[in-house]
Amino acid sequence: MALVMPGTSGHENPARDIPSREKAPAGDVSRAPAGRLRLPGPTLLLVLGFAVLASISAMSITLVYRAQDDADSVTHTLRVMNAISQLQVMVRRAESAERGFLITGGDGFLRFYEESKARALPSLDEIGALTQDNPAQQARVAEARPLLDSRFASFERAIALRQSGDVEAAQADLKADRSEGAMSRLGTLLIDMKAAETQLLDSRAIASRHSAGWLTAVSAGGFAVVLALGGLALYLNRRTIAALEEAQQELETVNAGLEQRVAARTADLKEANDEIQRFAYIVSHDLRSPLVNIMGFTSEIETMRTELFQRLGRLRETAGEAREADAEMAADFEEALGFIKTSITRMDRLINAILALSREGRKEFMPVDVDVGELIANIAGSMAHQTNEVGAVIRAGQLPVIHSDRLALEQIFTNLLDNALKYLRDGVPGVIEVSAVNTPGFITFVVKDNGRGIDPKDRGRVFELFRRSGRQDRPGEGIGLAHVRALVRRMGGLISLDSTLGEGSTLKVTLPRRLPIDNGHKDT
Amino acid sequence: MTEHVTIVMVEDDEGHARLIEKNIRRAGVRNDILPFTDGTSAVQFLFGADGTGRDHIGRALLVLLDLNLPDMTGVEILARIKQNEHLKRSPVVVLTTTDDKVEIQRCYDLGANVYVTKPVNYENFANAIRQLGLFFSVIQVPETD
Repeated sequence: MALVMPGTSGHENPARDIPSREKAPAGDVSRAPAGRLRLPGPTLLLVLGFAVLASISAMSITLVYRAQDDADSVTHTLRVMNAISQLQVMVRRAESAERGFLITGGDGFLRFYEESKARALPSLDEIGALTQDNPAQQARVAEARPLLDSRFASFERAIALRQSGDVEAAQADLKADRSEGAMSRLGTLLIDMKAAETQLLDSRAIASRHSAGWLTAVSAGGFAVVLALGGLALYLNRRTIAALEEAQQELETVNAGLEQRVAARTADLKEANDEIQRFAYIVSHDLRSPLVNIMGFTSEIETMRTELFQRLGRLRETAGEAREADAEMAADFEEALGFIKTSITRMDRLINAILALSREGRKEFMPVDVDVGELIANIAGSMAHQTNEVGAVIRAGQLPVIHSDRLALEQIFTNLLDNALKYLRDGVPGVIEVSAVNTPGFITFVVKDNGRGIDPKDRGRVFELFRRSGRQDRPGEGIGLAHVRALVRRMGGLISLDSTLGEGSTLKVTLPRRLPIDNGHKDT
Repeated sequence: MTEHVTIVMVEDDEGHARLIEKNIRRAGVRNDILPFTDGTSAVQFLFGADGTGRDHIGRALLVLLDLNLPDMTGVEILARIKQNEHLKRSPVVVLTTTDDKVEIQRCYDLGANVYVTKPVNYENFANAIRQLGLFFSVIQVPETD
């Protein structure tokens, strides 16, 4: 018999056009943006900026103080120079007053002299005080003091002579001028002092200019650095934003790719599932054909056997032998045919189970609003006879209304409840509880019994076709749970088993609250 | 069914063919049965060398058709018979293992007269064929023109 499938006969499904998932290999996903973003560190930049600003401020303050110091120094120097000039002038005035007195003998000159002298000496003191920190000037002041004293002493001698009326002696004294050397030395000293101060003034002015220059330079430099840092920060910020945008874009692309891949995988899985369904269908279908022959010709042999033994019996009778001589052979025939027929019947049941399962996998669902509480009550009602017989109770908690296929739900719960009733513990009144747990988008139905339980090693097996667990004292082919699992999976749900051997089993069926209409079955 | 009606049996499984023949006979059908085990030879017989089916003018044919053939599908043969001006009135009985709803609809759409699913259980199978035989014995088959 040729392998021809209903619905697909003629043309095979062309290879599905799977969206190009190769374009975005998995490695790409996490790589790019991380390294790019980490590099300059906006925090570091900020700290740097603050440091630069702080140092600029510190330097500016220092420099401003220094400029003030410089200005103070210049003022100081000017005061020193002023004092020196004052001294010079006072000495000159004292000299002039002395000369005037010597010539005229007027008291006015004498007063003028006294006044000048009185102002000259403090000037020298002031110079001494002002140049305290300058040893060279101090030395000069120390040298100038006796010179000044001797100069005034010389003046006063001449004045004393003139006062005593001895004009000639005073003039002679003036002519002799014994303090001439001291006078010139004092002049030189004062000039030197002035020169030194001038020099000092110059150097201070230069230092002050330097300070001002520095201040400008530092300010300008700082401004430039701040500007540069600001610019850099702006640039880095823009780059970071650009990188972020790029990363976001990449993420979106990856996301889209992911969705595409999920869709592709789902399509693949669907196709694989369809293929398995088709395979199961073909296998079961095509196994039936030879089975008909085996069964048919076995029946034919059976008929022939009856005829054969009848003829054999007649022949023996004719030959005068006992008709029952071939009874043993007839029994052997019977046994052989019996084995063949039971095996065929069993095989037929199994094939039918596979066929039913594969057909179940091809059936379209019709989602409607189903009150699961009502559904369970109906099933429990239809099982009342069975329940009463084994002395069990089925209790249902608060169960929701879900949008799903009624028939599928009925089959699922009927199988689960039937299993629970079938495998109760001897001597323990059966209690079967059905409850529901809400999760977003899904409902988990829990069917809990206090029956025999299932050995942990059999927990996966019980969902397989033709596999059963525990004591084989109940009728069945091992189809129920396989069937339930196939249905639940097709509905986009999950089934799991939790059980303690000798205490009971809990089956959890998680189903979508809304069964998607498209259950992806193209054929039949 | 009158004796001159020829039953054309297209069935690739010779065991099935034999069982079908036996059980039809058991129903008392005495007509000629022409077995074909593949589509090509059946088509050759039905439509002749020129593919027109003119050879059978004046004969009465009943076609017993299996859908799963090694070289083509029975559906194809069915379609050709029902489109042929000479053979279109010949009854076609589809006898196959498929009980697929869509396939059954398709066959009737194409003009199949009867669609029978082969039961797997032999007793049912034998019973079904015997009933089919009884059915054959009462129906009228028009002559090809």
